[in-house]
Amino acid sequence: MTALFLLVSLFTMLFIGVPVAVSLGLASVLTMLFFGDQTLVSSTQKFFHTMQVYPLLAVPFFILAGTFMTTGGVARRMVAFANALVGHFRGGLAMAALLASAFFAAVSGSAPATVVAVGSVMIVGMVSSGYTRNFAAGVICNAGTLGILIPPSLVMVVYGAITESSIGKLFIAGILPGIILTVVMMITVTVIARRQEMPRQERASFRTVVKTFREALWGLMLVLIILGGIYAGIFTPTEAAAVSAVYAFFIAVFVYRDISMNDVPHVLIEAAKITVMLMFIIANAFMFAFLLTTEQIPQMASEFIVGMGLPVWGFLLVLNVLLLLSGNFMEPTSVVLILTPIVFPIAMEMGIDPTHLGVLMIINMQIGLVTPPVGLNLFVTASVAELSLEETIKASFPWLAVLLAVLMLITYVPWISLVVPNLLLN
Amino acid sequence: MINRLEEWVMAALLAFMTLLTFAQVVMRYVFNTGWVWSLEATTYSFAALVLVGMSYGVRTHTHIAIDLFVKRFPPRLRRLIALAVVVVCLVYAVLMLYGSSELVARLMTLGNAARDISAPKWLLTMTMPIGFVLLAFRFLQAGWQLLRHPDSAGAVGQSHLPNVAMNKEDSEGQS
Repeated sequence: MTALFLLVSLFTMLFIGVPVAVSLGLASVLTMLFFGDQTLVSSTQKFFHTMQVYPLLAVPFFILAGTFMTTGGVARRMVAFANALVGHFRGGLAMAALLASAFFAAVSGSAPATVVAVGSVMIVGMVSSGYTRNFAAGVICNAGTLGILIPPSLVMVVYGAITESSIGKLFIAGILPGIILTVVMMITVTVIARRQEMPRQERASFRTVVKTFREALWGLMLVLIILGGIYAGIFTPTEAAAVSAVYAFFIAVFVYRDISMNDVPHVLIEAAKITVMLMFIIANAFMFAFLLTTEQIPQMASEFIVGMGLPVWGFLLVLNVLLLLSGNFMEPTSVVLILTPIVFPIAMEMGIDPTHLGVLMIINMQIGLVTPPVGLNLFVTASVAELSLEETIKASFPWLAVLLAVLMLITYVPWISLVVPNLLLN
Repeated sequence: MINRLEEWVMAALLAFMTLLTFAQVVMRYVFNTGWVWSLEATTYSFAALVLVGMSYGVRTHTHIAIDLFVKRFPPRLRRLIALAVVVVCLVYAVLMLYGSSELVARLMTLGNAARDISAPKWLLTMTMPIGFVLLAFRFLQAGWQLLRHPDSAGAVGQSHLPNVAMNKEDSEGQS
């Protein structure tokens, strides 16, 4: 009864367009008042306490770092370097766009930000070198999803915080799947490029490679700070995020000089806005998770599912379908926040590794980002590429096959997600 | 005036949190010391940032909602639903306001000071009832707008994220 009321009220509110944060919060509070034995005060306390969950402090810091990076010319220099590396292959610019997205994803924790940063530089370049606008948009839209797979990743921070599992471990687990996805997409580009006789550029001289590398190095160093710092145990992920924010400010204002001191307040406000939007959802989701725990709803769901005698592979399949469907209607953080508290205990009962589950959820969310009706990357790509939403959807559609193939691989070969963290962290 | 004030408070809190956490890392590794109050100061600033920002988000339409289904409905039904959404949001804000005021009142009777900052806990938690008063106010404002301008359906929320780099031409002077 309790669970039914909670879910029906939650989905009714979501359906009629109540903001996700308010839907989560009000559904939890009402359920608690009608059926629960906790008080309103303990719910509000949980809300306030969310901002004191130490790992979640990484959220504002990574967003701030990302905003400095997107506004500054970090992406432009990464594109130049990527182009010097792979531009001479057939379809070289498209490959460079993929590589540059992977580089940028390694300093930014957000997928739409990656699309904006790389897309605003790359799409014009690709179109003027003879690629169709649609092809360029398709590549950028999908490559941008690497933003939440390659560390740092905001979605991983949220997943780690709500399941109380190690964010550092999740970050490191995202590296290999990120590389695999990048390589698979590059191979796809090569195949398409051969068939369609796509343009190639002159091979960059070794001096150009070195020169562009040195220019991009300031940005790329951030990867080293974040991953190296966490891996060596120098920083917690939260500290690494704060250091990246200060570092990103420093290179954008003093090294690259793309933004002046006067622009800094604007960047701060922009980052604060996104932080609040995310944290408002997260704080309400923590009340939701608190209610689920006190009412023991996940345990009941878990007993039910385990009682059905579903094999692990079957459960994973059902989970993927559930995540893909939800990803079609909501943005990644909301999906992770709503489904994790319910699904996580079941998965643990079935002996699935929490890190593997995290990576699997992220890849599902990536697919949600590029599928209609609600795919953030589609909206952002459409506006960056100056295409209609319909054309963007059509352009991005063929890439779905690639993403789904990688999803299957990651789902059924846990080794890919676990080998690097097990190697490095034990 | 108030609008600008909200932005400045948010920017200042974010800058303060970031610099403080950064300074703490530097202190620990370079000078081998640190301030005990730093973590608590950071988390209470974080709470204040989110709580002040909630209402700002209503005004600038940055809260995410699923408007996909509602968009397909006929205009009159849409308007009705938009009003219902505002009412739901108001109920939420008022319940949270009640709960958080109760919380502050309780902390006042207990009279505990915060762990590392020499300020009473209730004072630091006051940001929550204040935040929800502001939020309720903004929802009321949105409802009022909706009643006065019949063609402005969907006053609260939007279906996609505010974009990092594309919001350069700011969203000033809405509301």
